[in-house]
Amino acid sequence: MAALGATVIRAGRRFLSSLPALFGVLVFTFLLMRVLPGDPAVFFASGPNAGKEEIEVIRKQMGLNKPVPEQLMLYLYDVGSGNLGRSMMTGQLVTKDLRERLPASLELTFTALLIALVSAVPLGVLAALRPGSIIDHGVRFVCALGVCVPTFVSGLLLIYVFYYLLGLAPDPTGRIDIFASLPPRRTGFLLFDFLLAGDFDGWWAAFRQLILPALSMALFVVAPLARITRASMLVSLGSDFVRTARSVGLPWWRVVVTYALRNAILPVITIAGIVFSTMLGANVLVEKVFSWPGVASYALDALLSSDYAPVQGFVLLMATVFVIVNLLVDILYGIADPRVTIG
Amino acid sequence: MVVASIALSVAAGSVQAQTRSETLRYVTGASVNTLDPNIPGSTREAFAVSLSTYDRLVSFGRKQLNGKWVFDLGKITGELAESYEVSPDGLKMTFRLRKDAKFQDGTPVTAEDVKWSLDRVVTAPVLGKAQLLTGSMTSADQFKVIDPLTIEVTLPKPDKLALPNLATVYPIIFNSKVAKAHATADDPWALAWLKENTAGSGAYKIESFKPGEQVIMARNEAWTRGTPDKSASFKRIIVQSVPEPATRANLVERGDADLVIDLQASDVQSLEAKGKLKVISTPQYNAVTFISMNNQIPPFDNVNVRRAVAFALPYDDMFKAALFGRGSPLFGATWADGKPSSGAYPIPQPVKLDLEKAKEYLKAAGMSDGFSTTFSFNVGQASTAEPMAALVKESLAKIGIKVDIQKLPDAQMSTQINEKKLPFFTEGIVAWLPSTDYFYRNFYTGNQRWNYSSINNPELVEIAQKARFEPDAAKYEEDGIKLNAIHFTEIPQIPLWQPSQDAVMASSVEGYTYQFHRQVDYRDLNRK
Repeated sequence: MAALGATVIRAGRRFLSSLPALFGVLVFTFLLMRVLPGDPAVFFASGPNAGKEEIEVIRKQMGLNKPVPEQLMLYLYDVGSGNLGRSMMTGQLVTKDLRERLPASLELTFTALLIALVSAVPLGVLAALRPGSIIDHGVRFVCALGVCVPTFVSGLLLIYVFYYLLGLAPDPTGRIDIFASLPPRRTGFLLFDFLLAGDFDGWWAAFRQLILPALSMALFVVAPLARITRASMLVSLGSDFVRTARSVGLPWWRVVVTYALRNAILPVITIAGIVFSTMLGANVLVEKVFSWPGVASYALDALLSSDYAPVQGFVLLMATVFVIVNLLVDILYGIADPRVTIG
Repeated sequence: MVVASIALSVAAGSVQAQTRSETLRYVTGASVNTLDPNIPGSTREAFAVSLSTYDRLVSFGRKQLNGKWVFDLGKITGELAESYEVSPDGLKMTFRLRKDAKFQDGTPVTAEDVKWSLDRVVTAPVLGKAQLLTGSMTSADQFKVIDPLTIEVTLPKPDKLALPNLATVYPIIFNSKVAKAHATADDPWALAWLKENTAGSGAYKIESFKPGEQVIMARNEAWTRGTPDKSASFKRIIVQSVPEPATRANLVERGDADLVIDLQASDVQSLEAKGKLKVISTPQYNAVTFISMNNQIPPFDNVNVRRAVAFALPYDDMFKAALFGRGSPLFGATWADGKPSSGAYPIPQPVKLDLEKAKEYLKAAGMSDGFSTTFSFNVGQASTAEPMAALVKESLAKIGIKVDIQKLPDAQMSTQINEKKLPFFTEGIVAWLPSTDYFYRNFYTGNQRWNYSSINNPELVEIAQKARFEPDAAKYEEDGIKLNAIHFTEIPQIPLWQPSQDAVMASSVEGYTYQFHRQVDYRDLNRK
C-alpha cells in the first residue's frame, strides 16, 4: 500500500515536471500557425461575393486584427481558463469538438492496439522460438506486408472485400449505423455506453462498425511490435536464467511464458506506448476512409483550411496524451519489473 | 456466431426497410457547418440545408435543358409570397404573403418577420449583404410593411437582378419573434444563436445537427408550399459527410445511400456503365473553369504572350484527362467573320491547339526563346487540376515556356489570389444569377479578389456597368457581344469548360433538379 502511495506521488511529480514542456508546445504551435502561409480569413470568406469587408469581419472574429504578441497573451489567458477558442469550420468551441471526438479516436486506437498486441506478441514469440525456420520467415513476411501497405490502402481493400463484395461488414461510415439510435452518453466510448444501457444489439452494431477500421490500423503496427518481441525474446531465451530454468526440468511453456516472456516484455511495453501515441495522431487516413468522427481527421481539416484554434487545441491534446502515456508506461514498467521505480 | 450475425443483420434489415424508403440519405464530401447560410465561412452544403428549413419570398422555377431539369432564372414563382407585382417603372416590388403560411412553432408568417429578415441581410455583417448589393438592395429603408400580409421593396433604379436576388440563399425569412428573443446587445441580429438553431417556416425541421458529421431533418407536416398539393415527399433527410470519394461511390452503389453529387469523374463513368443507378449529368451552365494569367505581371502583361498560351494548350487532352469529357467544352469554336456568336457568357472561344500560331505570337511578343513561370492550382481541385497541369507543362515546353507546377493548400491559394501574386493558375467561378453583365462586372472588373486576371480595361468596365440597367433585350445582347469580343481580343484568361454536375442516385429517386447553388434541393425529390 505504501508502495502504491509512493508511486502515485512520484507520478504526480512527474506530471508536474512535464508542464513546462506542455507550455513550450503551446507557444511553439501558436507561433508556427502564424508563420504558415495562408490567411484563414481569406479562405473562410471564399463564398461568392465575399469581398474585403467580409474578410475583415472574419479577421476580427478570429482575433487576427490584433498584433501577434497580444494574440498570444489572450490565447494563453484563454487556455488557462479552459477555453481553446472556437473553430471556424464547425462553428463550435474547440473544447466541445475535442471532447466529442476524442472518445471516438481513443476507442478506435485502443481496439487497434489490442488487436495488434494480441497478434504480434504470439507471432514474435513463435518467431523467436525457432529463429531462421519457416515460421520465422512467415512472420517476417506478414510483418513486411503489414508495414508496407499504407493504412488507407488496407482500409480501402478491407472495405472493398468485406463491404462491397461480400456485404459482411456494415457500411463503412461513422461509429454506428446512421439509422440506429445512440445510447445515453456516459463515457463517450460506444462499446461501454451500450453495455451500460444494456443494449446488446446496439453493442453488436457498434462493434461490427469498429472492426474494419481497427483492423486496418492494427495491420500497420503489428510489424514493430512483433519484431521487438522477437528480438527481446531471443535475448531472453539465450540468457542464463532460462538455461537454468530449462536445466531444472520446468515445463517448456512455463519457461517461455513466466521466465523468458516476462523479462522480454519491457521493450514491448515501451514500443506499445510510443505506437499508441503515434497511432492516435496518425490514424487520420483511417478516420478519413471510414468517415470516423475522430480528432485526427478534425485536425487535418483544420490544418488545410488554416483554422488556427482547432489545430492548436489538437496539438496541445496530443502533447498531453503523450505525457500521460509515458507516465503509464513507466508505471507498467514498475509492475513488470519491480526493480524499476519511476523517478 | 456467424449464423447469429447473419440472422441479426437480416432482422435489422427488415426493420430498417420501412423507414429507409421514406428517408433520403445523401452523402457528401463536404460538411454542413452552420444552420444560417449568412454566417461568413458557411459551406455550400449548408446552403442546401437552409433552403429546406427556411422559405424565401420567391424561388426559381425549373425548365428542361437537353432533357434535364435545371433551375430557370427567367421564371420566378412565389414561395412565401402568394403573389407579387413589379411596378411598371420597375422601382417597386410588392409581395403579398400566403395567409396559411406558418412558422414551425405554429405562429403565422407576417410582413414584420419578412422586414426583419431582409433588414438583417442588408445590415448585419453577413454574406447576404454583398449579394443583395448586386440587386440594388442596400438599406433597411427600402423594405416597408404595408399591412400584416403585404411588404413593399423600393429600388433606387430599375434592376433586373433585384427580384432574382430575393430567390438566392441569403434572404431567407426568419421567425423574428424567436430570433429577437435570442438576440443580445452585442449581437442584435442573433447571429450566434441562429448558427446552431433554426427559426423558419421551411419544409423540414432540424432533428439533429453535428457540425462536420451529419444533419438529420424531419418533415414539417404543416408545410404547404413548393408543390401545391402536398408537403415535401421524404419523411426524413440525412445529410452525411463521407470524406472518401471511393466510399461514397460504394455506398450509393450498394444502395445504402440514395444520392451523391460529388463523385470522382472516373467513378461516375464506371457507375454509369454498370447501368444499375440513375446518373443525371447536367453541365453547370452557371460555372466556368479557366486558366488565368495575371495581366499586370510580366510576361503576362503582354497580350501576345497570353495569345501564345491560348494557342499552345492541348484542349482536347486536358478535357479528357481532367473530366473524362464530362462537361461542355468552351474551346474549338469557329466564329463567322471573327465575331462572337452570341452575347451570352460564357461562349465557346475560337481557340485550339496550334503550336505554329503560338510560336508566331511569342515572336511578336519578342520572346521567341520562351520564358519560365509557375502554374498553380489548389489541393482541393487536385483530382482534375493535376492531370491538366501536367499536360499544360508538357505542351508549353514545346514553344519554349518552362512551367513549374505548384500545388497549394486551399487557404494559401486563396490568400495568394487575393493578393494578386499568382502569375498563371487555374480556377473555377460560379454565378448564382448567370447574366452576362453579372459575370463581367464580378469577374473582370475592379481590384477585387474575383478579378482573377487583374484585367483593367476601361471600355469593358463601361459596357458592363451600362448593360446592368439596360432594359432593352436587343441592346443588351449587343452589349454582350461587345463584351465577348473584348474578352477574346484581350484574352485575360482562357475559359476551358463547364464541368458537369454528376448526380448519381438510386433508380427510385425522382425529381432531381440542378440548382443555382450547385447543391440538391431536397424538396424537389421523391421516391417512386
